[in-house]
Amino acid sequence: MANVTFPFPFPDHLITLLPEMIVAIMAMALLLIDVFITKGSKVTAYLAILTTIVAGFATYALQGPEPLVAFYGFFVFDAFAVFSKILIFAATGMAMILSLEYMKDEKHIGEYYVLMLFAMLGMMLMVSSNNFITMYLGLELMALSVYVLVAYQRDVLRSNEAALKYFILGALSSGMLLYGITFLYGVSGSFEFAVMGEKLAHAEGNAATAVMLGLVFLIAGLGFKVSMAPFHMWTPDAYEGAPTPITAFMSVAPKVAGFVIFMRIIVDLLPSLQHEYQTILTGIAVLTIAIGNLAAIAQRNIKRMLAYSTVGHVGFIMMGLLAGTPEGFSGILVYLSIYLVMTMGVFAVIILMRREGIQGELLDDFAGLSKVRPGYALAMGLFMFSMAGIPFLGGFWAKYVVFMAAVEAGHLYLVLYALLFSAVGAFYYLRVVKYIYFDEERVAFNFIESKPMQATVFVTAVTIVFLGLFPEALFEVCRQALGGLV
Amino acid sequence: MELHNVLDFPILSLSIFLPLAGALVIWLFVKGDDAVRWASLAVSVAAFIVTLPLALMFDKTTAHMQFEEFAPWISTFNINYQLGVDGISMPFIILTSFLTVVCIVSAWRCIQNRVKEYMIAFLVLETTLIGVFSSLDAVLFYFFWEALLIPMYLIIGIWGGKNRVYATLKFFLYTLAGSVLMLIALLAMYFEAGKTFSMLAFMDYPFNLEWQIWIFIAFFIAFAVKVPMWPVHTWLPDAHTEAPTAGSVILAGILLKMGAYGFLRFSLPMVPDASQYFVPFMVALSLVAIVYISFVAMMQTDMKRLIAYSSIAHMGFVTLGTFMFTQAAVEGAVIGMISHGFVAAALFLCVGVMYDRLHTREIGDYGGVVNVMPVFAAVMLFFCMANIALPGASAFVGEIMVLIGTFEANPVYMDVSTKWVAIAATSSVVLSACYTLWMYKRVVMGDLVKDSVKSMKDMTAREFGFFVPLMLLTLWMGFYPLPFLDILHVSVEHLIAQATTSKLDAAAVLVQAMPVLDAVHH
Repeated sequence: MANVTFPFPFPDHLITLLPEMIVAIMAMALLLIDVFITKGSKVTAYLAILTTIVAGFATYALQGPEPLVAFYGFFVFDAFAVFSKILIFAATGMAMILSLEYMKDEKHIGEYYVLMLFAMLGMMLMVSSNNFITMYLGLELMALSVYVLVAYQRDVLRSNEAALKYFILGALSSGMLLYGITFLYGVSGSFEFAVMGEKLAHAEGNAATAVMLGLVFLIAGLGFKVSMAPFHMWTPDAYEGAPTPITAFMSVAPKVAGFVIFMRIIVDLLPSLQHEYQTILTGIAVLTIAIGNLAAIAQRNIKRMLAYSTVGHVGFIMMGLLAGTPEGFSGILVYLSIYLVMTMGVFAVIILMRREGIQGELLDDFAGLSKVRPGYALAMGLFMFSMAGIPFLGGFWAKYVVFMAAVEAGHLYLVLYALLFSAVGAFYYLRVVKYIYFDEERVAFNFIESKPMQATVFVTAVTIVFLGLFPEALFEVCRQALGGLV
Repeated sequence: MELHNVLDFPILSLSIFLPLAGALVIWLFVKGDDAVRWASLAVSVAAFIVTLPLALMFDKTTAHMQFEEFAPWISTFNINYQLGVDGISMPFIILTSFLTVVCIVSAWRCIQNRVKEYMIAFLVLETTLIGVFSSLDAVLFYFFWEALLIPMYLIIGIWGGKNRVYATLKFFLYTLAGSVLMLIALLAMYFEAGKTFSMLAFMDYPFNLEWQIWIFIAFFIAFAVKVPMWPVHTWLPDAHTEAPTAGSVILAGILLKMGAYGFLRFSLPMVPDASQYFVPFMVALSLVAIVYISFVAMMQTDMKRLIAYSSIAHMGFVTLGTFMFTQAAVEGAVIGMISHGFVAAALFLCVGVMYDRLHTREIGDYGGVVNVMPVFAAVMLFFCMANIALPGASAFVGEIMVLIGTFEANPVYMDVSTKWVAIAATSSVVLSACYTLWMYKRVVMGDLVKDSVKSMKDMTAREFGFFVPLMLLTLWMGFYPLPFLDILHVSVEHLIAQATTSKLDAAAVLVQAMPVLDAVHH
């Protein structure tokens, strides 16, 4: 082997891309399969779900004690990437299950799942990137797929409007991100996080200004993708207009990918710029927490409310970023995992609920749910209390770990602020419980009877209670996942 | 960690989780409203019996925590499942398990819709309440403390009156906002005291004055909302008015005690210097509660609101006694809490009995009830007399001890003699007689004028049944409080020793030792 010279640099650990290859090949194959064989039946959906599961197993099986690197550092495969990929698979898989019934009346059903696979592929690349080029490729693959998915119900005006807004603002943010990257590249001469970090530490004079500018644009661009205020403007519209399973997908998976990138950048790129990024992020966190939790109160549409609630959660997760410590980062992973479970459960209930053919949209639609379907009502109640951070449910520990890390890192006042807003936020979560339990039923319910979706509700509800009582295992897994990073 | 458990049996865990397990079984397997009622009664009685050994086998000669249990829970943050009771917390556990039985019996016929959910909510509530009173780990305490908001929210919100949604939301958000401050104080203490959440370790750790003051303020807000103290009391009349009868009973009987218990368990022993420092402030708020709220109570036209305000006034006595740091005052405060658990609970049940018949709580809608309900009138008179602390009733013991303790108290930071405080507080004896007896006169005495009242039937045997144990307990504690005081003596003595020993010298030593310790470390 040693004597063979390749005419091009051959990847040293191509095998580490196996999950990506599986997803990419299956996504392209599904396009053809759907046209020629299954012809828009649900088989495509099941194949897509299967692909997600297989990719998950492949990722898990490939995991070794040491981080693997492919393409000369362009692609890393460490415990951190494995954990975040599994979260992304879980989010995508569950969103696909939620789509089974929801999208059954749509034409072109095949493309829908293929687009989800491509979005997932983009995120897989993102979380494995060690380099702005790989990151940007993954990010754009994800973003373009999601733009189309948001607009999937192309006969619905609201969906079109949402997608247009999302696309324009998304393109703008990509521009800002690239602009920021060019500044940093200009100073450091490299795209690789770690190398840039070393070079940037010595920037002085004009170069230091350029670094600062680059940092601001970088944070703005990435902040857009994870709905940090004030770059969250697209969130409520896109959430409302998108097909509901896509809303579920968007509220979790891109957030995971986005925060993973944030953490990688902070660890590799920014030790030297700690003061600067902390100042910027503190301001953003203060704004994000307030806007998310206050604006959610005014919402009547549950998807819009959950959009603002996501913004609020992103603000809380930022406490972990601000801490900048291993505890903070593993706290982010804990938060994202628990948030994934809660969100998928909530959206599963929303999709299962229909009134006179219209699926649950407004908060009023939940009135009297507890009398008709006590099981769904209990699950929804648990998710809401969990999101509000009330103990014996997972959501409490999610907040606990990031706040704890932030207190340890000395951000006591910020945590106090966040905690007070979490009490404010409890108001709108409680309002959902109010509709479910305290109000009388007005219009007849008309539920979807779908075993896989009902199973999703059940599993997520049980998981959220279990994590509330015994969170230790999750803490441990998240700590280990961080091993590759810090 | 060794087990100081005389029974060598996790009796506290059983007390906490038996109601929860019962609720689970009822939820899954019991069908039919009557079956649910009987099953819940069986569970609550069993839970009550399980807690009795705590009292019977209690060692009155030690201030140590008893019936201790320990298991690692979340080792990442050194959070442990640590339980234990002393003479201050044990009575509240018994009171909780006892009042839960009363609540379930009292709801027998008045709750007609969603009986199953109602009973489950009460059993879950019992679990969280006993959990609060037996936790020795601060996070475990917080866990139960917050979790009880969920069943209480549902109880008021589903089975409450017209404005229940407003009342329940106000209750939830007030108490939640209060407790998040406690959480932040606990997190801060965790790092300061060397990464532990053990409440006993917090009691031993010498926090310096600045720390103590901030911690005290955070605790104060959390506990004052729960007590509730003026001016954060406004959620209570709303919650009481809208809650179903049993909800009011548990609210007045137990929930209000959690705040005062928090002062005794957290503020006094953990931050003694700050507690002393804030005595004038606490005294002022307590006196406002006693005097001003009594006048507010007089103006009420709704019976439940009146009793709710009366509760706030009585809790003013409790906070006053707590911050006097004398044996008599602190014991009086605890006795006052327990007594209020009997008396206020019974008064709410009285209102409930009338409400079941006429579906109104307005004082003006009644009058001359004695003519149609003589037995009821006697029962209500008994508890009205107990409420104004007539000698022979339990409330008298509590109040007189608080007053005596206040007279002899000599807190470091008080400018005025506490004699004047005691005199001001004594005015409540007159004031509480005014509002209680005036209400009694307007509701029960007089001629029968209203037709609706004429149709009222006297109490059934079941209704009478749940008043009997409350009466007996009120009398027992009123005439022969010694068994109760015996349980308190050593623990309160220990508490006062903790609360009057300054931590500042030790803190100063610690600060001086810091550079040395650092040097050794590196």
